[in-house]
Amino acid sequence: MASTSRPTRPSRRTGGIGQLSAYAAETLPFREGHLALVSCGEGSPVTYLHGMLGNPGEHAFLKALANNGWRVTAPSLPGFTGSSEPRGLRNLHDWVVAASELIDLAGVTGHPVVASSVGAMIALELATIRPEAFDAMVLIAPFGLWDPQDPVADPFATTLSNQRKMLTADPAASASFFDDLEEMPADLLVEHGVDRYLTRSASAQLIWPIPEFGISERIHLVKNPVTLVHGAKDAIIPASYLNKWEQILPNVVGVHCVEEAGHQAEFDRPEDIAAIATSALS
Amino acid sequence: MKSIFFHLMPYPELPPDFPDEHRSVWVDIDPALYDPEVGNRTYNEYLDELEFAASCGFDAVGVNEHHSNGYGLMPSPNIIAAALSRNCPDTNIVVLGDSVALYNPPLRVAEEIAMLDGITGGRMVAGFPVGSPMDTIFAYGQNPATLRERYHEGVDLIRQAWTRDEVFSFNGKYNKLRYVNVWPRPVQQPHPPIWIPGGGSVDTWDWCAQEDLVYCYLSYFGYKAGLKTMQGFWKKVQETGKEANPFQGGFAQFIAVADTEKEAWDLYREPAEYFFNTCLHVYAGFADPPGYKTPNTVRAGVEGMVERAAREATARAEAKKSSTGGGYPKGLSFEEMVEKGYVILGNPTQVAEQVHELATTMHIGHLMTFCHFGNMNKDLVRYNTEMYATKVMPEVCDLFEDEYEDLWWPQPLDQPARRDVPEVSVS
Repeated sequence: MASTSRPTRPSRRTGGIGQLSAYAAETLPFREGHLALVSCGEGSPVTYLHGMLGNPGEHAFLKALANNGWRVTAPSLPGFTGSSEPRGLRNLHDWVVAASELIDLAGVTGHPVVASSVGAMIALELATIRPEAFDAMVLIAPFGLWDPQDPVADPFATTLSNQRKMLTADPAASASFFDDLEEMPADLLVEHGVDRYLTRSASAQLIWPIPEFGISERIHLVKNPVTLVHGAKDAIIPASYLNKWEQILPNVVGVHCVEEAGHQAEFDRPEDIAAIATSALS
Repeated sequence: MKSIFFHLMPYPELPPDFPDEHRSVWVDIDPALYDPEVGNRTYNEYLDELEFAASCGFDAVGVNEHHSNGYGLMPSPNIIAAALSRNCPDTNIVVLGDSVALYNPPLRVAEEIAMLDGITGGRMVAGFPVGSPMDTIFAYGQNPATLRERYHEGVDLIRQAWTRDEVFSFNGKYNKLRYVNVWPRPVQQPHPPIWIPGGGSVDTWDWCAQEDLVYCYLSYFGYKAGLKTMQGFWKKVQETGKEANPFQGGFAQFIAVADTEKEAWDLYREPAEYFFNTCLHVYAGFADPPGYKTPNTVRAGVEGMVERAAREATARAEAKKSSTGGGYPKGLSFEEMVEKGYVILGNPTQVAEQVHELATTMHIGHLMTFCHFGNMNKDLVRYNTEMYATKVMPEVCDLFEDEYEDLWWPQPLDQPARRDVPEVSVS
């Protein structure tokens, strides 16, 4: 798929939730809507494909990657943080095609990728049909496998506060997503809540009710070197899935089970995960 | 005003400590709690109650659809409607309704309602709810982010199937059908009236107002709490420039009538407490999956009726866990239920006054009356039903009838065919 150059004068989000002020935040036209994208750092390029928490502004992991000498580009999948709702995405195939367009639009095709959770699932699926989409891959707790004896937990049949506890080992680690900024104007407060709801909805659209779509039938096509990372305290995908992925991926070059880290381990242990990624991708 | 005898068909024998020992009456309720013999007795008693209500002169009887729960044992309301269709020859039947998004394809709904309309000679009302999150998302695995879109497509398919006079193709996002050709065709033309039960979504108001559909707010929490929601709907109707015809609205209300107010307090306490504290003991995690509500509803800060019930149930359960002492958790008291208007209670005059106030305040022409609720025994159901039908309904049935036309009421055949099973003759 031909690469699409990014506009020279990207539109920038102003106001909004105010959490993107430390980054270059922009929106790119995408189909009938737009995609949000944040970037930071200088150096070799790396893409971050987010998980269920989306890209909630100044999360420490992007900073940690930047501090490790990376120029990070973090696009938001349709429906997630700042991107338009995923209209027209009926099934996994539609999502993968959208992701393929997204990486071209963002200018990150062929770059190494650190992908987490739902983003890791999408990255794997994309890699099966488009080997050149990414260089090396660091995958943090990807969805996609299902063991009925050790099932993936349901992160939606719960209250908002309990879902927060499922996403990271330390609930405080996801403050940028779940908490409202102090002194936020009332109208922005409402929109922040709506943004959060839409991000959660997009996750549901991807992985409800059972996040297994047959990847094990095509995983042999993923020839990229893959480093697997999993939080030891992942309350959604059991840590045993780390071994399951290792057994079926053709080219695993590293396996890391990170203590004191939950499902989105990069929020719990940003510096450690960034160091793992840097070691794997350098 | 029309009075519809509405039955939820709850499982009546959940243990008294159910809210204490089980997290939810819906979705993951323990299957071991269901006794098939109780089920057998219960279904037959409930059908008796519906038929009795029909014989008492209610304008219609009503049924609905729910899954995987002890709150209501009607996964298929059309089966119950079929059981009633022959035994209640003069009563209209309101199916409120078939959860369209759960049928594959939704054409099945069009067919079954047409069958029922055929059997009854045109006495059906077709209700199409989006469906509660417990039913649609958790029991039936629908995706919350796409449920409403799937539902609207299904309703569109059903309406086309009833009204197009040709075999046609339907190329939807969720339903792809090469030959759509519903046989039988409904008796009522262009189709049975369509009512939309809602629980608080602001987008449903818009849709009903634009499409001239009946908006029924099926609230558990009485008319005092429901007023704001109905006002929101009527505002949308007025914004379309249409007349606010009360027969475009519907509301559900628990009724507890007795010869005296004191008797009513004594008779209806237990079934009311069973309903509100056990039948509504829904785990809050099942009530609000992301994507189920539209962004507009989130933006408006509207809490759905189910969401509210679940939130309160979970809060009571958690409060119980954190308190000392044992025993049955303190639930909602009957006094609170009556004081807040969840249950209209009293002697016939008092009940008629409150129903009158409800109807006029909320501008409602269709009242779904819950004369059965909770674990009410069949004798009390019969009593409550007969009291309402003979002593309350006559006082309120004329409301709105002179000023407005009910454009959303069944139009049966003048001389429909009836049950005509000959006696067996043995020579």
